[in-house]
Amino acid sequence: MSEAPLAVEMRGIVKRFPGVLANDHVDFSVRTGEIHALVGENGAGKSTLMNILYGLLHPDSGEIVIDGKTVHMAGPREAISLGIGMVHQHFMLIPVFSVGENIMLGREPVTGPDFFDRRRARAAIEDLTKRYGLALDPDARMGDLPVGLQQRAEIVKVLYRGASILILDEPTGVLTPQESKELFSVLRDLVKVGKTIIFISHKLKEVLEISDRITVMRRGKVVGHLITKDTNEEEIATLMVGREVLLRVDKKPAKPGGVAMKVEDLTASSDRGVPALKGVSFELRYAEILGIAGVEGNGQSELMEVLAGIRRATGGRVLLADRDITTMDANTERDAGVAFIPEDRRGTGLVLAFSIAENSILGRERTAKFSWNEFVLKLVAIRDWARRLVKDFDIRTPSIDVAARNLSGGNQQKVIVAREMGGNPKVLLAAQPTRGVDIGAIEFIHRQIVKERDEGAAVLLVSAELDEVRSLSDRIAVMYEGRIVSIESPDTPEERLGLLMTGGGTRAGAA
Amino acid sequence: MPLGSVVLAFVVGAVIVAVTGGNPFGAYGALICGGFGIACNGENPALQVSNTIVFIIPLITTGVAVALPFRANLFNIGAEGQLIAGSIACTAIGIKFSGLPTPILLPMVLVGGMVAGALWAGVAGVLKATVGAHEVVTTIMMNYIAQWLLRYLIIGGPLQLGPGTSKSQPIGPGARLATILPADNSLIIFGLPASVYRVHTGLLIAIAAAAVFAFLLWRTSLGYEIRAVGQSQKAARYAGVSVRRTIIVTMLIAGAFSGLAGAVQIAGVDHNLTDKYFSDTTGFDAIAVALLGLGSGVGIVLAAILFGALHAGGQVMQADAGISSNLVLILQALILFSIAANFVGAIRQRIPGLAGRPTAMPPELPPSAPLMSEAAEPPPA
Amino acid sequence: MTALSDILHLLVTANLWQATLAAAVLLLLPALGGVVSERSGVVNIAMEGMMLTGAFFAVVADLALHNPWLATGVAMLAGALMASVHAIVSIRFRADQIVSGIAINIFAAGLTVFLINRIYGLQDVGHVTQSELLPDIKVPALDQLPFIGQVVFQQNVIVYVALVLLVLTHVVLFQTRLGLRIRAVGEHPMAADTAGINVYLIRYGAVITSGLLSGLSGAFLAIGVANTFVPNMTDGRGYIALAAMIFGKWTPFGAFIACLIFALGEAIYANNSIIHISQYLLSMLPYLITLIVLAGLVGRSIPPAADGLPYVPGSE
Repeated sequence: MSEAPLAVEMRGIVKRFPGVLANDHVDFSVRTGEIHALVGENGAGKSTLMNILYGLLHPDSGEIVIDGKTVHMAGPREAISLGIGMVHQHFMLIPVFSVGENIMLGREPVTGPDFFDRRRARAAIEDLTKRYGLALDPDARMGDLPVGLQQRAEIVKVLYRGASILILDEPTGVLTPQESKELFSVLRDLVKVGKTIIFISHKLKEVLEISDRITVMRRGKVVGHLITKDTNEEEIATLMVGREVLLRVDKKPAKPGGVAMKVEDLTASSDRGVPALKGVSFELRYAEILGIAGVEGNGQSELMEVLAGIRRATGGRVLLADRDITTMDANTERDAGVAFIPEDRRGTGLVLAFSIAENSILGRERTAKFSWNEFVLKLVAIRDWARRLVKDFDIRTPSIDVAARNLSGGNQQKVIVAREMGGNPKVLLAAQPTRGVDIGAIEFIHRQIVKERDEGAAVLLVSAELDEVRSLSDRIAVMYEGRIVSIESPDTPEERLGLLMTGGGTRAGAA
Repeated sequence: MPLGSVVLAFVVGAVIVAVTGGNPFGAYGALICGGFGIACNGENPALQVSNTIVFIIPLITTGVAVALPFRANLFNIGAEGQLIAGSIACTAIGIKFSGLPTPILLPMVLVGGMVAGALWAGVAGVLKATVGAHEVVTTIMMNYIAQWLLRYLIIGGPLQLGPGTSKSQPIGPGARLATILPADNSLIIFGLPASVYRVHTGLLIAIAAAAVFAFLLWRTSLGYEIRAVGQSQKAARYAGVSVRRTIIVTMLIAGAFSGLAGAVQIAGVDHNLTDKYFSDTTGFDAIAVALLGLGSGVGIVLAAILFGALHAGGQVMQADAGISSNLVLILQALILFSIAANFVGAIRQRIPGLAGRPTAMPPELPPSAPLMSEAAEPPPA
Repeated sequence: MTALSDILHLLVTANLWQATLAAAVLLLLPALGGVVSERSGVVNIAMEGMMLTGAFFAVVADLALHNPWLATGVAMLAGALMASVHAIVSIRFRADQIVSGIAINIFAAGLTVFLINRIYGLQDVGHVTQSELLPDIKVPALDQLPFIGQVVFQQNVIVYVALVLLVLTHVVLFQTRLGLRIRAVGEHPMAADTAGINVYLIRYGAVITSGLLSGLSGAFLAIGVANTFVPNMTDGRGYIALAAMIFGKWTPFGAFIACLIFALGEAIYANNSIIHISQYLLSMLPYLITLIVLAGLVGRSIPPAADGLPYVPGSE
């Protein structure tokens, strides 16, 4: 293995964006036929480096050597012709096109003057399917496929272009544990037939499971080259963060109080109009954290939106103490003491063009605290409030007039957390509260959530990271296909939770 | 940056004049005289300034009517139709109640104009908020409908002055805005009788409109919501802001401003509807005013001064230098290109020594939504 | 009531439908251009200006060259030139595409009148003689068919050209490799880019195509339907074509049906000699119909996903 020639060598890569040095003299090399993991926190510069390798970005300086030859990567066309293929974190698929059209795009078989040849497209895909064992229906509409199959289509697309070096950017982020296992076996098969794989991830367990060697990046620099079999989770985490990391949350046992929120047989539809919640019932108590575990897309997002008053329920009831809040809108619910940290901080949690001060009153601009007669804004009160939040929640910013867009992910998330917790809510709905933020911010937000609980608030937590749910929650509700299939204690083994999350493990008639 | 765009547009405009065999210096000289009363050759400077201000007044008010929806990510191309609706309402009321005294009739015609403009814009607002019809298309259609309605009303319709004419009866004296200088022929000001200066008290209304705009946008919860909806409909909705209501209210207010501009034009300058309103372009000039003014109250006033001067100057240029006043439209389009594409920024980056210096941000425009993009899913209440 | 029965009577005359088809073609050509441009992801509200420019240069060239075919070619080039301004500003400089479109329209309105002034002084442009007009063509035998013969087979040459272009646009967009790439660029430019497709090239081509088609429509208007140029003679047709494109859900045939509906309103207005309503009120019809159709559409029309968004490589 160690004698294998270098498939990719990147030397002294520098890439500057306005205000950020995304890649700072990065050296990176991958041997032919290995699975090489590139790890680092969000914003460490992994995706930038790979986009440079794929020709989407051009480095300010540095050199790229592919199979021993120095190359100039003018664009993806060159990368493709050099045998490099990339499966992006956000799939490069066109939902309204068929699977076949998506795979063929850019290398379409034609007949006559310029007609797209569907028959030959189908044959080519069947051929790839046979060779790599990746079954796909070429005529299915891409948007109708589950994420796992979409990712498979991305891999087939790359193979169709004859790639020998495959870059996979955070490929498991959207997959179920089962789908991840399938992906890993596909990757192992690909290596057997001579392909080289670069695997970008921040999930250390996976990295240890699948890779041969590891390159660690932090703040635009390479901080370590590791051999997978000679390292462990703690060592990688320490390199990634630059200090020792506590991989668990410190908290006292819960002392749950009375019922804060009662959800009875709740049903709701997704954006596409299909049932997303199919009768959800549970009780949430004061001074406890109820975590919802589940593979994304099983109704968690819709549940949080219904509870926050943003999505309409199609049936069932939500009681806050004894008050029916099922049909209340977001404002009324907030006044009643329900706070909501939405899962997509850049899309729904913040107005990115607004300053911290402006974001700190989002949705509260008509309250007596921030305006006279619900109309004329109390600018001084708003600024005082924003300053207090910045101080109490350790938001790192030169001023409250900085646009949210210009904050780091962690500080953006802190602005939302501060706004929602700053009003001392009775019930806190936290959806993916630490997604995509750095470890420092994760630790801070975790402490705040626990503090909120200790002060008596009821916390409902949704997270795609099973580790997060397990370490924060006092009870865990497992959600599968729009239902709560089981309520478990936080020390339930991961294997059992994983099984429940994919529809197994319950006795018939349970739920 | 805006200044650079203007300069760039004038340079390109000069090239166009020169290429087509004209004298750009003569053209711009006449333009400056007509616009600012500077460097005139026989024209009365004071009269030119007065004429320019008359052009500026509706540009400020309609500029606000375009700039406010911009903030909500709505593109109001219908200021022209709303202005016509306002002028029709003002005229109709001013004729019907021509006997009433000023303290009663003047507010009536102005408010009437605002209501009519608001209704005209409201159609687009409601269609956008309920079925997602793109406001660019609907406001353009409302422009054409307003123009044909106007033709009908003053040619053969109920407002026609008499058979064979294409104008309406004049509004009652109580419906008229006073001129700033007394309408007294014996009083000589800057060498001309005071009554030839048409500059009128609508100027105060226009400046007030710009002030109201700035206050509304930055000091009120509604303005905050308008900006939030404009920057991120989703975030606004998640925070509990009613996107539909905000869209409709924004268009109503914008229409009221345009309608006011039309009413002021009738009450302060023309006193009746005429066929010159068929070819009026104030509502389209307003788009350039709003963009060039960077959507701020002061900026809108400054941009309105520029375009008012261009229009007033264009007439002098056509008469004195023999260059079609349509050069003004060409300049206006070039300014729009230049602002939208940030040519100035691109040029600066290419000049060594200037690169890296912070350039002013382009106007804070929300990215234009694809036509009918929200069509599949009207904005939720 | 009499007005209603007059209209009903009008609706069964072949004259009306013949006029409707011709009027529809004036809208169809820019609408097809709009479909191509927006399918590639560039919002185009500049058809009005490109058409007006085409109309103007058609007359200028025809008066100078005395050849309607060459004049049509010049008109198409002029439309394409305007389109390339929109393309450069929107694609290379990533400008707001609606602002750029408005600027094109204002520019065209100003430039045409400015040039009349420079070329012809302050007088009229002048009229094109009969032999310099784009000819009407009767298709032998078929033109004798009852009703259909007059409606479809006694038309201006551009009508037949437009109908061919309609089919061609449909086939190219939905059956060919080029069409697949155009649609891919409009749906997800980064997906197309990563697949090795030149996003900018496709977008430039699509926008310039819309200019060629709008210029052709302008030529038809000026030296086919009218025989001269008057300022602003397009009278919002480019905008109505835009509405037709939306109503037609960004498909060529859908847009054609919408054009027929809008054109019917215009044809009724043009044949209004027997209807006793003010011609000015009738003139509102196409715009009112457009508005009502958009209102009644109740948002089932979904544009290409990346329509109006400038593409910045490597950014998500």
